[in-house]
Amino acid sequence: MQNISKSFGSQSAVESMSLTIKDSSFVVLLGPTGAGKTTTLRLIAGLEKPDSGKVTIYGRDVTHETPAQRDVAMVFQQYSLYPHLSVRQNLAFPLKSPVLKTPKAQIEKKVDAVAEVLHISHKLDNKATELSGGEMQRVSIGRALVRDPAIYLMDEPLSSLDAKLRADLRLELKRLQSELGATVLYVTHDQIEAMTLATEVGVLNGGELVQFGTPREIYESPSSLYVATRLGLPRINTLPADLFPAAPSGARTLGLRPEHIAISEGTAADGQAARVTRVERLGDQTRLHLKLTGHKVITLADAHSTVKVGDALTIQLKDPLYFDRDGARVERGNK
Amino acid sequence: MIEKPIERVAKATPTGMARQIKGLSDKAVAWLFVGPTIFLLLAINIFPLIWTINLSFTNFRANRPNREVEYVGLRNYERILTDSDTWLSMQATAHFLFWTLLLQVLIGFALAWLINRKFRGNDVWTTIIVLPMMLSPAVVGNFWTFLYQPQIGLFNYVVSFFTGVDPSSFDMLGSVDLAPWSIIIVDTWMWTPFVMLICLAGLRSIPDYIYEAAEIDRASKWRQFWTITVPMVLPFLMLAVLFRGIENFKMFDLVVQLTGGGPGSVTEMASINLKREAFEKWRTGYASAFAIILFVTVFGLASIYVKALNKVKER
Repeated sequence: MQNISKSFGSQSAVESMSLTIKDSSFVVLLGPTGAGKTTTLRLIAGLEKPDSGKVTIYGRDVTHETPAQRDVAMVFQQYSLYPHLSVRQNLAFPLKSPVLKTPKAQIEKKVDAVAEVLHISHKLDNKATELSGGEMQRVSIGRALVRDPAIYLMDEPLSSLDAKLRADLRLELKRLQSELGATVLYVTHDQIEAMTLATEVGVLNGGELVQFGTPREIYESPSSLYVATRLGLPRINTLPADLFPAAPSGARTLGLRPEHIAISEGTAADGQAARVTRVERLGDQTRLHLKLTGHKVITLADAHSTVKVGDALTIQLKDPLYFDRDGARVERGNK
Repeated sequence: MIEKPIERVAKATPTGMARQIKGLSDKAVAWLFVGPTIFLLLAINIFPLIWTINLSFTNFRANRPNREVEYVGLRNYERILTDSDTWLSMQATAHFLFWTLLLQVLIGFALAWLINRKFRGNDVWTTIIVLPMMLSPAVVGNFWTFLYQPQIGLFNYVVSFFTGVDPSSFDMLGSVDLAPWSIIIVDTWMWTPFVMLICLAGLRSIPDYIYEAAEIDRASKWRQFWTITVPMVLPFLMLAVLFRGIENFKMFDLVVQLTGGGPGSVTEMASINLKREAFEKWRTGYASAFAIILFVTVFGLASIYVKALNKVKER
């Protein structure tokens, strides 16, 4: 898609966005509510018409085509199953399109196969409204999977599920995508989904695509402070740049992820002294809340760390990130 | 000891009343509240029903209350069911029911479907369309007799405008062939809006995203209409048919105003027939039996229909 813009009234939802999705890639659009993720998806699906710009699929300009002509499959956030139909009928619905002319036996075979994959075979004859949330969403995903479209569009398909189911389906989705070699554009506000599913992540802010790259790239070298705060748990710590020496010129903000912080107990010569204010033991890891000359810093320590509240520590930096006054990344070239 | 609030209330209550209230259990209080309603229901609905059943086995005549009443067993029922007039009136009712329901469902659904497309001023149109429903049937019947007037009536004039037939060459209310249709037209004019409103509620209950999903699933508009719109509105439509069916089975007011059952007895539907027997011929026992037959018919048909409706809802 090229230079796509869309606004609702005076509210701009997507601003001159350009995005190329490679065949068989799993692209995740990550952004908070209102960042234009869903609108982007709907523009590609053809449910919304762009104000300007164009959408192409395999080189074909589809900007003025209907969703049916575009050959896309979509999984909606609110299931959107056909409530008066059974699960089987729901899954068969896209296949019964006259465009496809699928023979009856093949429809049945395909529906059974998809139901098998999504573990809903035993519910095939249930009514769509008699399912639990997780089952409904699986049917909804199944309805997309029975087809073989140019691209699968998924709008936060897992957001309404409970944590365990979300984790299960996340793995399932990833496995399916790599098995089928399908092209997927997936929208979420959940950074774990973005990190685990994506071959490429696009970070959205206020209708603009601010960075696009592999999950590692985006995590390790974010182009801006905004992108840096979207990824990583616990969130990146932001401190004034001049708190530590050796900040590159122009740097205003220092971004510290837990792995950028080396802790040594007691006081050391080079480094800043910090005091432990809180220790959260999460089992597999320990979160330390530190006080560093008036600033709060959260970092990770070993699960068996013996650090107690009130302990004095020394913090040293390991390749931290620097950002200028506008939040843009400053490379530490001069070293 | 400190007084609890409830004890204070008890003390403040006048002793006479307190003694009366204290003696009542929860159950008794409940009966106190429900009692008047149950009494009214019994007095106004249940008792007359039972009394009618009782009268239907007699030769009682309400205009001769002092005559000795004889029990005649099932004679009344026998005579009604073998009377050809009864069957004619039943046929007239069935004809009227079939056509009004068919027309109202088709037109009502079509109107609802049009109104539901979001265009400017559709609220105003809804109000305009619903207007006939708000009028009293007596008023509607009265002014349609003017519209149907062969010499000055607007209806005849409009028909002649479109077909070229001389407006005074036909008389909707006076012709044996046209009179049943004159009532069907008025009832459809008056009650189609009701069916439309219910269909509209059904259409509005279908969320947009279902259509979006269907759009993505490459269902044509035609297929969306038949696989999504119709099945999802069907329970509403069937409910509308139930209401209209029960109402029209006892159609009375419009007929009285328009044709009075005539010409001859072609528009004499069951309810008109019943009224004649009861309050013109004063054959109270006979009319009671007829009323019971009608009641059982409506009740039976409605029960079967409600079962079908529930099946559709479950689907």
